[in-house]
Amino acid sequence: MSATTPDPILTSVLASAFKAITEEMSNAMSRTTRSPILCEAKDFVTGLYDAEGRMLEQTENLPILSFSLSPVCKHLCERFRGDINEGDVFFHNDVFTFGNQNNDVAAFKPIFHEGDLVAWAAVKGHQADIGGAVAGGYNPGATEVWQEALRIPAIKVIDRGRLRQDVWDLIFANIRLDIVQEDMRAEIGACTVGERRMVALLERHGREVFDLQREELFSATERMMRAEIKSIPDGVYRGEGRIHYDGRHPGSLHVIRVEITVDGDHIRFDYGGTDEQTSGFVNGTYASSASATVLTFLQMVNPDIPHNEGMVRPVTIEIPEGTVLNASYPKATTFGNHLCPPNADAIMRALVSAIPDRVTAGWNHLLCGLSTGLDPRTGDKFVDIGFMGLKGGSGALPDVDGYDHIGMIDASGGVLDQDYEMFEQQTPHTLVEHELLEDSAGAGRQRGGLGVRTRFVLGGEDLQVVTFGDGDVEPAFGLMGGTPGTLNFIELHLPGGEVRKLTSKDLLKGVPAGTMWVQEAGGGGGWGDPRERPAELVATEVENGVVSREQARSAYGVAIDPATGKLDPGETRRLREGS
Amino acid sequence: MSLTIGVDVGGTFTDVELCESGRPPENYKTPSTPEDPSVGFMEGLRLAAQARGLEPRELVQRIDRIVHGTTVTTNAVLTRTGARVGLLTTYGVRDALEMRRGIREEQYNNRQTNVEPLVPRSLRIGIRERIDRLGRESAPLQEEDVLLALEHFEREDVQAVAVCFLNSWANSAHEGAAKKLVQDRLPGRYVSVSSKVLPAIRFYDRLSTTVLSAYVGPILDHYLDRLVGRLEEAGFAGTLLIMQSSGGVVSPETARSRAALTLLSGPAAGPASGLAAVAPHGLRDCITVDMGGTSFDAALVTDGAAALRTEADIDRLRIALPTLDIATIGAGGGSVAWLDPGGLLRMGPKSAGARPGPVCYGFGGREPTCTDADLILGLLSAEFFAGGSMELDLEGARKAVADTIAGPLGLAVEEAAAGMYRVINSNMALGVRQVSVQRGVDPRNHSLVIAGGAGPLHACAIMEELEIPHGVVPRNASTFCASGMLLTDLEHDFVVSYPARLGELEWPHLREVVGQMEESGRSQLLEEGVPAERIEIQLAFDMRYVRQYHEVHVGVDRGDLDLDGLARIADAFHRRHAVLYGYQLAEEDTALEVINVRLRAVGRLDRTDHPAADRQAASHKTTAKGQRKVFSPELRSWDLVPVFDLDRLAPGDSVPGPALAEGRHTTVWITAAFEGRVDAARSLLLTRKGSGGPTR
Repeated sequence: MSATTPDPILTSVLASAFKAITEEMSNAMSRTTRSPILCEAKDFVTGLYDAEGRMLEQTENLPILSFSLSPVCKHLCERFRGDINEGDVFFHNDVFTFGNQNNDVAAFKPIFHEGDLVAWAAVKGHQADIGGAVAGGYNPGATEVWQEALRIPAIKVIDRGRLRQDVWDLIFANIRLDIVQEDMRAEIGACTVGERRMVALLERHGREVFDLQREELFSATERMMRAEIKSIPDGVYRGEGRIHYDGRHPGSLHVIRVEITVDGDHIRFDYGGTDEQTSGFVNGTYASSASATVLTFLQMVNPDIPHNEGMVRPVTIEIPEGTVLNASYPKATTFGNHLCPPNADAIMRALVSAIPDRVTAGWNHLLCGLSTGLDPRTGDKFVDIGFMGLKGGSGALPDVDGYDHIGMIDASGGVLDQDYEMFEQQTPHTLVEHELLEDSAGAGRQRGGLGVRTRFVLGGEDLQVVTFGDGDVEPAFGLMGGTPGTLNFIELHLPGGEVRKLTSKDLLKGVPAGTMWVQEAGGGGGWGDPRERPAELVATEVENGVVSREQARSAYGVAIDPATGKLDPGETRRLREGS
Repeated sequence: MSLTIGVDVGGTFTDVELCESGRPPENYKTPSTPEDPSVGFMEGLRLAAQARGLEPRELVQRIDRIVHGTTVTTNAVLTRTGARVGLLTTYGVRDALEMRRGIREEQYNNRQTNVEPLVPRSLRIGIRERIDRLGRESAPLQEEDVLLALEHFEREDVQAVAVCFLNSWANSAHEGAAKKLVQDRLPGRYVSVSSKVLPAIRFYDRLSTTVLSAYVGPILDHYLDRLVGRLEEAGFAGTLLIMQSSGGVVSPETARSRAALTLLSGPAAGPASGLAAVAPHGLRDCITVDMGGTSFDAALVTDGAAALRTEADIDRLRIALPTLDIATIGAGGGSVAWLDPGGLLRMGPKSAGARPGPVCYGFGGREPTCTDADLILGLLSAEFFAGGSMELDLEGARKAVADTIAGPLGLAVEEAAAGMYRVINSNMALGVRQVSVQRGVDPRNHSLVIAGGAGPLHACAIMEELEIPHGVVPRNASTFCASGMLLTDLEHDFVVSYPARLGELEWPHLREVVGQMEESGRSQLLEEGVPAERIEIQLAFDMRYVRQYHEVHVGVDRGDLDLDGLARIADAFHRRHAVLYGYQLAEEDTALEVINVRLRAVGRLDRTDHPAADRQAASHKTTAKGQRKVFSPELRSWDLVPVFDLDRLAPGDSVPGPALAEGRHTTVWITAAFEGRVDAARSLLLTRKGSGGPTR
């Protein structure tokens, strides 16, 4: 077949090759990085882009990062036009030039074929520290970006294969932890892995075929996405999501309002009615908020749609600057990624009437605790992000229960618990409990996913604790008669017996070793009338200790025989018919 | 005179390979009997005896060794028909098994549900006890907790007990004490203890592996009892050995005690078989691929050994035992073609399997499959399928492809079939890349060994896709694993977690630890009858840059376990890291850490030698048995192509492409760019025209 006509078969072949390359890059990242948020939680994305910065394929372990690279890559092409050479490497994190979160630092490597720039390999990962006033980057007191982070606009750190040592030193002189330097080297390594494979692919097929088939791939994906959108009834749908507490004004409430217009094979998300930005760090950037929109919507369509430029063509997202989802320069924005759960709530509430079979009940919102200090065994600083504690349940669908302990919707099961034994090697803490939480799931014909309870004893010196998140005021909502899940909380039980309940955006210094960390991540919302749930199933869950006898009776109308611990069918019938 | 037999019991067929010195190898195939696989096993032996005009007993009595690969444990997990297991674990973490660290593999699919845990929550009991991160007891084992749990297990009819406590990799005393109580209170129950199954750090990995062992242990026990009974009844007096997932074999006793060792053993004999096919040509590197009805297995052999990994999954459940690095993807003769909503052609992973099977089988299949495409293209013959024992329905296949694929894409039927052929080839090429490119190995420097009933039709196309210049279709392509089983060795794998910086290792202590593992390995092998001079010890470290989380597996020379050897170990690590991950930090002076020390004790078994292939065997042309019209998927045109009888080709015969070599169990499609030549072992070598022989 000649190079001038598209070949649908070759398009399939190239599409799988791109996917395989980004997965290989992703594997290299997770196998070589040091910070637990990268190697365990996999808070990074790897991708390939064409010479113009358009997305060819991505592997996003965390969906919230899904649309944060392509706009930066386009910016980079523009900014450095004429000065992009083989062997260059660029860094970027700046949220006011299309970045999504200060801690998410990207590495870009241009890919050349016969002397021409043809594509880019890029990796962006959440770094353990990014300078600013507070270790780890979450500064609830921040009002401006400089109090949060070192800004890295698009800069060249390797020029034609030669490290610009002065530039490198300037960056890492402003970052607390040495591992950040190592993890950025891992990002460059993963880009090199992608570059090697793309060069081989281009040698094989040639530039012309590559360009032609890429366009065909975009069109095929676009057709797929348009067909999905077409299956949603035309209309204008509105929904709200709520953000509780901006980190500065206890009790404050900020509302996200979305108006979704489905018109044939096009969909538009308009956030014009959303509340204005906060004075603190609870603000989004366009990239983080638009990613949240797309990832929520993608869960409502065919999960097999390839992730490339074609997918986003039929989607318009309007987020006015100055709103809480798109803060204006130079506002603080580190919390922005965590506005995904309320943003998802708004979209789900809007679309549930249009596509009730595809919209889940509410997911548990993230509430995360981060501890830093000195490990006396090694003399090294440590940072622990409490992944195991933060993962609550997802919301139920009409035919499927929520997923237990999956974690926030922005990761959708992509962030993993620390392995318990590695946790005790890498931190001075001692695990006491990490189990599914009884009665945490919203009840329903389909129940929500269960949350978890986590306890560990803090060890080490110079201990500092930071919290960020939400879900401690408003639980995950139920649908169609399903009930909400339970709330999140984090408490510190100090050695003297005092119990300190932390807020959802807190910073506590001088925490004594021996303090017990007690955390609950709540469950997801239920779907449908709990009394329609098969009584046998409820009885099994009582036997398994994830539903109490009291909840079985009050919410599900199911009675358990106190003598046998098994279902009492007669009493259950009376309970269910009597209501 | 030695007589050895390999028996590979798969999902559809039981394959038997028989090797006796002084005679060419023989192979037999009989349908598997899933309700009791030992029935099909004995039927295979009966067929072998019959072929020699013997009563089964007369043959069985003379057998010296049987190597057996079984999927009973694999099937028990896939169909959730394993034992009822009770779990004793540390108080506070009993849900780790079910939570699987909180992963949902399909992040955008809200309908994906979690895996049903192998032990229900009501049978997972937390015990008050604690070993700390350094292996010290920080809370004593509360025996009354164990006893209460065991009473509960007794009432609940538990058939097997798994024991896994936190940090038992560093101190196994509590697990040992709990095991004693189980044996005392629940005699006869299968017990699986984590510090015995896998004494390595990482709680979830060890827990899952231990529970899997308990879940399939009683099944394997029961099966081996029956099999051994039948063999003894038939007069068997030789040695029975069982394939393990690592590619080695173990005694039935070892397999019983660590039953999870067999879970991924299905394709594990493939690499040995592949190596045997290329070894006569002086090669020690190859990539083996085995394409059956539903799946495609690819493995990499480098320097005479297949690569291992220590993180594998079965049905989304983790097994952290050494397992051959075999990529299994859903591509086989039964893979179904479909169009995605964007109009792109896809193949698999859905498979029509053996029933209903491809449309052309006429068993009621309606969805077009890879085999249907092969038939439409003329690569398979409607009349000569399986040696003519089964007629294929060409019209049915054409209609299915026309309706589902060709029509919607606006292509001619044969064009669509050619597309199906290409897409499945590119899927298979991805499987090969997983085990080569992703491991830092260039597949172009390797020979491709192509086996399985469906594989050889796609051999040249896969080689083309991967730019691999040489391939081999082994004589025994359709009983590939059974013959590989006769080439395996006894293997015992040991691991000790030994977290320390490389520069701060206490070498004398480390040598002592290694010495203990070696001693256990040697004594086990001696007990199994391996003479001391045939024992080999292989040592490896799992290493990383300080504070990395994952390790790189680095082979270590026994003689390097001291300060002088340190630099060589470090150097090997840096090089491996750069190959795998695109960079290394030798110049940055980054400290290295050792996490695990692994030792493998190998007992080399003697084997019946295959005749050496004469690479210089004069090549001569041979005559075709006929010709037929083939729509070449490469050239996109109908051409008359000569057809040779694969089973009658003799050493030295040369077959230039385009040509088909059709045998009873498999057919080879030799494209125009390649030529085939039969070697002394009657394997068919495929080489790019004008490129010379298969040398590196």
